[in-house]
Amino acid sequence: MERNIYAYKCKRCGHVQYPYRTICRNCHENDHNEFDIVPLPKKGKLLTFTHLFNPPSDFSTVFLSLGIVELEDGSRITGQLSIERPTIGMHVRANVEVVRKDEYNQYYGMVFYEA
Amino acid sequence: MRDVYVAGIGITSFTRLEYPLVEIAAYPGLMAMRESGIKSIDQLYVANMGAARVNHQSGLASAVVDNLSLTPAGAETIENGPASGASAIKQGFLAVASGMHDTVMVIGAERMREVNNLEATDFVATLTHPMAEYIYGVTLPSLAGMFARLYMEKYGVTSRHLAMVAVKNHKHAMDNFYAHLHEEITLEGILDSPDASTNNPIVADPLRYYDMCPVSDGGACLILTTADLAKKTGKPMVRLAGVGQATDTHAVHDRKDPTDLLAVREAAKKSFAMAGVKPADVHVAELHDAFTILEIVESEEAGFFERGQGHVALQEGYTRIGGKLPINPSGGLKAKGHPVGATGVGQAHEIVLQLWSEAGKRQVKNAKVGFTCNFGGFGNNVVCLTFIREG
Ligand SMILES: [Zn+2]
Repeated sequence: MERNIYAYKCKRCGHVQYPYRTICRNCHENDHNEFDIVPLPKKGKLLTFTHLFNPPSDFSTVFLSLGIVELEDGSRITGQLSIERPTIGMHVRANVEVVRKDEYNQYYGMVFYEA
Repeated sequence: MRDVYVAGIGITSFTRLEYPLVEIAAYPGLMAMRESGIKSIDQLYVANMGAARVNHQSGLASAVVDNLSLTPAGAETIENGPASGASAIKQGFLAVASGMHDTVMVIGAERMREVNNLEATDFVATLTHPMAEYIYGVTLPSLAGMFARLYMEKYGVTSRHLAMVAVKNHKHAMDNFYAHLHEEITLEGILDSPDASTNNPIVADPLRYYDMCPVSDGGACLILTTADLAKKTGKPMVRLAGVGQATDTHAVHDRKDPTDLLAVREAAKKSFAMAGVKPADVHVAELHDAFTILEIVESEEAGFFERGQGHVALQEGYTRIGGKLPINPSGGLKAKGHPVGATGVGQAHEIVLQLWSEAGKRQVKNAKVGFTCNFGGFGNNVVCLTFIREG
């Protein structure tokens, strides 16, 4: 089964927000849970990135590549990059994978590859 | 509202301190009381971000008020991330301005070096969005790296400009006894020499080691009071004239233009409006340079320079001591240090010292209007203060 990251689409105005907010940032009109849960698209453009050389202790790699991606529908997400030479504006596609593991849990998130 | 004045100030060295957090908080309080002659207060606010997590201590203000033998005065701990310090000053301002209290002590204190650097960075990273940022391994340096890359590409800022911020602020800190880093650095040493990549390795590219502030312990204090009581201290009258605060989205990716620091722009605007001054009236500023890039961008968002011109002003020497608008004469977070919850009070301490004309070798001449920008999260909660010397 293909995994997704889900966003929250306002039932009043159609605005898609990620991450979750109790009140829609666009229309400010809806009450709690007036959202449709929709999968975020997986293709987009890399907006900016960094290679972090002192990653948190849950990560065993020498560095961690992180980026902000503008997805096809205009929404944005922060994710990890698995790209050797990232450049601003490059086209990327995501896979939803385990992005962090600690003693008790594993967390899924978007990992971006060169499209 | 009543006018609010500064009666006394105190500070510890910002460095690694080998004594308990409560004493790191108490010592600057003691200094401020000795200097002002004030022996009793109505209310204490203690700004701190990490005591419960890093030092295994909660209810810090209750411990500090007793340590200073100031009971039964009211006491509260204020946690607002790295903007805790200026937030606590804001609470002190409101208490005196409203007439509820006449004399309020505001202390900021943090002891981060009780844990190692990775743990300290992880503690600060708990500010990020838990699901949309933190799980990916996002830390404050990585947010700063992503921000810097985009901003630099957009406005033609180079690593050289960032290094100039570090060189300037390290130089300023040489004349600040209380600064964490007394280490003069050069562009040659951190950028051009063959050893530069060893001296100054990449941490979150394009940002390098010398683009980041150190992890510091430290405390600072400001006593706020009414005009009548402030006159009795014999110090020049410095009024806390403007307090502005604004917020922005929790996750950085949610901002329409991720190179904007809208909360800085709004908080500065509100602070100047309340004080009745313009950015051009300011003589000295302490900006939140946890990362070198932030000093440049905050100097624009606060209204001192046009968008994209902050690095030009820096390069032309406009922002060093002796320039038209000295920024971070204390050394800033970069070299004075960044004990997170204490930083905003430390910034105010420097501005008051400057407006009192007691800053010694780093004195900014004829400073009458001073400004601070205390930046919480990665710009999601910002408090700006404007101080004016009267007479
Ligand atoms: Zn809506």
